[in-house]
Amino acid sequence: MTARTRNWLLLAPAGAWFLVMLIIPLTVVFIFSFGERAPAGGVVPAFTFEQYANLPARWAAFKNTMTLAPIGTLSALLIAYPLAYYLAVKSSPKWKTILLVLVIVPFWTSILIRSYAWIFLLGGRGIPALLDWVGIEGVRLINTPFAVLIGIIYGYLPLMVFPIFVSLDKLDKRLLEASSDLGAKPWRTFLQITLPLSIPGIATGCMLVFILLMGEYLIPALLGGGKVFFVGNALVDLFLQSRNWAYGSAVAVTLVVVMLIAVTVYMRLITRLGASREDVSIM
Amino acid sequence: MESRGYIEAFTPADGKAIAELRGVSKRFGDVLAASDLNLTITEGEFLSFLGPSGCGKTTALRMLAGFETPTEGDVLLDGEVVNALEAHHRPVNMVFQQYALFPHMTVAQNIGYGLRQRRPRLPKAQIAEKVDKTLDIVQLGGFEDRKIWEMSGGQQQRVALARAIINEPKLLLLDEPMAALDRKLRKEMQIELQDLQRQLGITFVLVTHDQEEALSMSDRICIMREGRIVQVGSPQELYDRPNSKYVADFVGTSNFFDGTVVEQPGPLTSVRLSNGMIMRGTPTEEMSNSEDVSVSVRPEQMTLQRQGEGLTVEVRNRIFLGEHTEYLVNHETLGDFLVLSPRQSEQTEGAFTVGDTAFVSWEDSAALILDRN
Repeated sequence: MTARTRNWLLLAPAGAWFLVMLIIPLTVVFIFSFGERAPAGGVVPAFTFEQYANLPARWAAFKNTMTLAPIGTLSALLIAYPLAYYLAVKSSPKWKTILLVLVIVPFWTSILIRSYAWIFLLGGRGIPALLDWVGIEGVRLINTPFAVLIGIIYGYLPLMVFPIFVSLDKLDKRLLEASSDLGAKPWRTFLQITLPLSIPGIATGCMLVFILLMGEYLIPALLGGGKVFFVGNALVDLFLQSRNWAYGSAVAVTLVVVMLIAVTVYMRLITRLGASREDVSIM
Repeated sequence: MESRGYIEAFTPADGKAIAELRGVSKRFGDVLAASDLNLTITEGEFLSFLGPSGCGKTTALRMLAGFETPTEGDVLLDGEVVNALEAHHRPVNMVFQQYALFPHMTVAQNIGYGLRQRRPRLPKAQIAEKVDKTLDIVQLGGFEDRKIWEMSGGQQQRVALARAIINEPKLLLLDEPMAALDRKLRKEMQIELQDLQRQLGITFVLVTHDQEEALSMSDRICIMREGRIVQVGSPQELYDRPNSKYVADFVGTSNFFDGTVVEQPGPLTSVRLSNGMIMRGTPTEEMSNSEDVSVSVRPEQMTLQRQGEGLTVEVRNRIFLGEHTEYLVNHETLGDFLVLSPRQSEQTEGAFTVGDTAFVSWEDSAALILDRN
């Protein structure tokens, strides 16, 4: 067996999977998006841009996705970074393990159940009732963008914490001592050494969370209550409710394109930021 | 000499104390990493902490740097107690064991790091100029824009050195700086470091477990063991007048014959060895009869002859070293020991071969009677 055949064999299972589960469906969706709606639902093959021309009708879904996904990513980053920093740099080895497990524990329960818990917490008898009791009246949380944001941050936090934790954990602590030794005050050490060297972790975390958020369906469905909906919700609606496959396909293709553009821009940004920051271990 | 490990070391008479450890101890949980360290470091000297790993030498260095606070005692810099002064406020810089260079910065950015932290800010041009100058000092001119990972181990070490000396520290601390270099490079760097120290006049404090390194570079060596300072002195002092078996064993090679003190008539002390034999030697401290001691004789102080007086031994092994030949010999009751025979003697006596019977002798005054612990 030559090295070449061996490589192909190694790649074959994943390749086959991607072909069947990704490339073919995407192609189908792409073709559908130029079709017309069949009277009983489904698609009549055609070549028309009518579906794409109709996209503005679903503008709200795109707008929500394109605002809440970045805001959610950024919020998760701001909350996750200090946590990851504490875990990696400050906590004792014993506590580190315990706290890391605590970060993962929520994953043991389905996101569905956890989101239901949030429905209660954010609903009339939850936090608003508590606020009412201390004198802040008339606060409505459930079915608002804020509720969706809370759900997003809650659900995606571990995905942000872990990559950042890993990059901070493997950061050579002697670099911090060296910085201090050379006269840098603690916060200057953070800005000049810790932060730049954790950029790979930040980039990975943001990428993971952002891409998954762009396709999010469950959290807006449960906590947005049909008022705050994402493209994902629109797709469910189009494919399953109104059975307008052609239009749904156009929306789906558009989402993929938007995502590709966003990710490309983001990658450019990161590589520029980290141009000199190839992940190097010194020894 | 006090019993608690305080050894008054010689300090160059005109030298000013730049740093001092006064009764310094450091405890990590249950572990006493450093115990009652007393040491004065003189301005401009090259001092080494020498000892096996875990002897507390790195802890001592880290307390000077400001990474550790002493549990007891005082650390002084320039006459002031700095126990609680954080590392970033101390006029002290360190060359780390594996250099700890910043991987996201170029060589020049690494070297200029210390200057960029100064407040009020230094003008950029001034920093650039100083970086250039320092690059020249460590012979890395032209490498300023290189990435750290593009540099070899030896070059990285120079960058680490430059990054520290550019700040003109009162003390330059070096934590096993040669450990990652190969033997040849290590030799070169040792010489360069000595040159650099003379050129800059900065006080160097080196931590090493390599006795050869300490002996060849230092003005003074502070030998440590289990968190304590055992002896401080110039390399020659330590070699010629070790105060214990431990030091004699650590600095150079020596043969030891254990026994107890039986008599102290005049300048020489008599020791009865385990086989009943009596050996005489120069005592290194006051000793009482029946004290457990070791008689130490350096291999080069022994003479190996075909005929004559002394211990009758059998030659076990012969290693030709050029100037000298090293023989491993065996005595019936004293066991194996080493004899270093100079080339000259080889020529008069003829080379011994394995299995030969020979006689080993030495001047009684060359033998040292040492504390066995």
